[in-house]
Amino acid sequence: MCCGSTAVTKPQVRGSRMAIDSSQNDQLKALLAACARRDQPAFKSLYELTSSKLFGVALRILKREDWAEEVLQECYVSIWNHAAGYSAGLSAPMTWMTSIVRNRCLDWLRRPRTELTFADNEDGSHPLDAVASGDPGPLEALTRNSDAQALGGCLSRLEAKQRQAVMLAFYDGLSHSELAAQMQQPLGTVKTWVRRGLERLKGCLAGMGTA
Amino acid sequence: MNYRKHPQLIEKLAAEYVLGTLRSRARTRFARLMLEDAAVRRSVLEWETMLTPMTVAVAERQPPQRLWRAIAARIAPSIAPAQVRTSIWDSLGFWRNLGLAATACTVALVTAGLLRQPEVLQVPMVLEVPSKQRQESYVATLTDKSGKVVAVAYAARNSNELWVRRVDLAPGSGHAHELWALPAEKGAAPRSLGIIPAGDKGTLLLASAADQSLRDVPALAISLEPPDGSKTGLPTGPVLASGPCLKFW
Repeated sequence: MCCGSTAVTKPQVRGSRMAIDSSQNDQLKALLAACARRDQPAFKSLYELTSSKLFGVALRILKREDWAEEVLQECYVSIWNHAAGYSAGLSAPMTWMTSIVRNRCLDWLRRPRTELTFADNEDGSHPLDAVASGDPGPLEALTRNSDAQALGGCLSRLEAKQRQAVMLAFYDGLSHSELAAQMQQPLGTVKTWVRRGLERLKGCLAGMGTA
Repeated sequence: MNYRKHPQLIEKLAAEYVLGTLRSRARTRFARLMLEDAAVRRSVLEWETMLTPMTVAVAERQPPQRLWRAIAARIAPSIAPAQVRTSIWDSLGFWRNLGLAATACTVALVTAGLLRQPEVLQVPMVLEVPSKQRQESYVATLTDKSGKVVAVAYAARNSNELWVRRVDLAPGSGHAHELWALPAEKGAAPRSLGIIPAGDKGTLLLASAADQSLRDVPALAISLEPPDGSKTGLPTGPVLASGPCLKFW
């Protein structure tokens, strides 16, 4: 089922349509508020503005287009149903929607008997190469984006192994044991990398006044 | 373990829940903890805010057109492009949104077969149900992703018997179909209502009268589970069908 075209490519920033600036934030908030009033055209606009990003996120984690479609369908129905529960004071609209999608994807992957398999990229490289320690891809993309600059900066200050573990887990939805297998390290070691990486990340972001 | 006494542990688990490294059971347990504890939810929110910007590095990909059509059909079929109706009485969206209770009640009282093709449902069919049979009740039509009716659930308001009819859901020996009450609050855990009996129709016993146990339930869902049901207390298999749980009175 998993075909070449669905294989994950290196993370990259493509275009600026989803640059989450404040005016876009306000627009998404307004659309969510309209969805809460059951405004269907507003929901369609919300979908048009966000679906490419969220499909990309789902695809990155799930590696299969059919799964990503299925999960995204559930997510948008859920966004429509729960739009009234969105609180603009608690989180940015894109953070809220992305979290819904990531959580559904992770729940999907953690279903019993689901085996995570990696498809090779079309160019023959392994998807994990994208976050190999020396690869600047995602980090570079993060530091170029004003919303992710602080996070990118803090990630780049982590030890290479910690950074790799955190990024593999986030982008590819790997569990601790899958991380250990992929990084060919003992489970305990990988757990420690993740834990310390997250602690440092938080400390760093707090120091920059963003957390 | 009493997590409330261990804020550092909550912090660690929240971070890993958001990052995604928790395994199935740990993830389920933590999700349950989130329901019970606002501090846990705050911690999760904080980590979501911190880590989500990482997604700016994920390539966008335009989903296929059929995805929007599928979503539109589920939230309100009347906004799907093909659905142009002249009268609200003809509008499928009207029925799905406002009349589902009546629809489901029709199913319960008249015939389930009709709903395999909701398009053919007609107003008189609903209005002809004698009022004395329209007992105050909770009703749910559970449909699969394509909108096909899979099962119907019905409980009289003051009864703790939940009547479930399999419409298009074949029982099997190697698995069970478990019925769930979905939570009213986002992120909360569903509650098991039990295994759906193997026959065409059967009853599940609610913990209390429907007026209590279903009052705040927005929807019911059916998941595929091992023969004895989910061992985690949460759905573990795929969700086969779901539908709003509506008050009909």
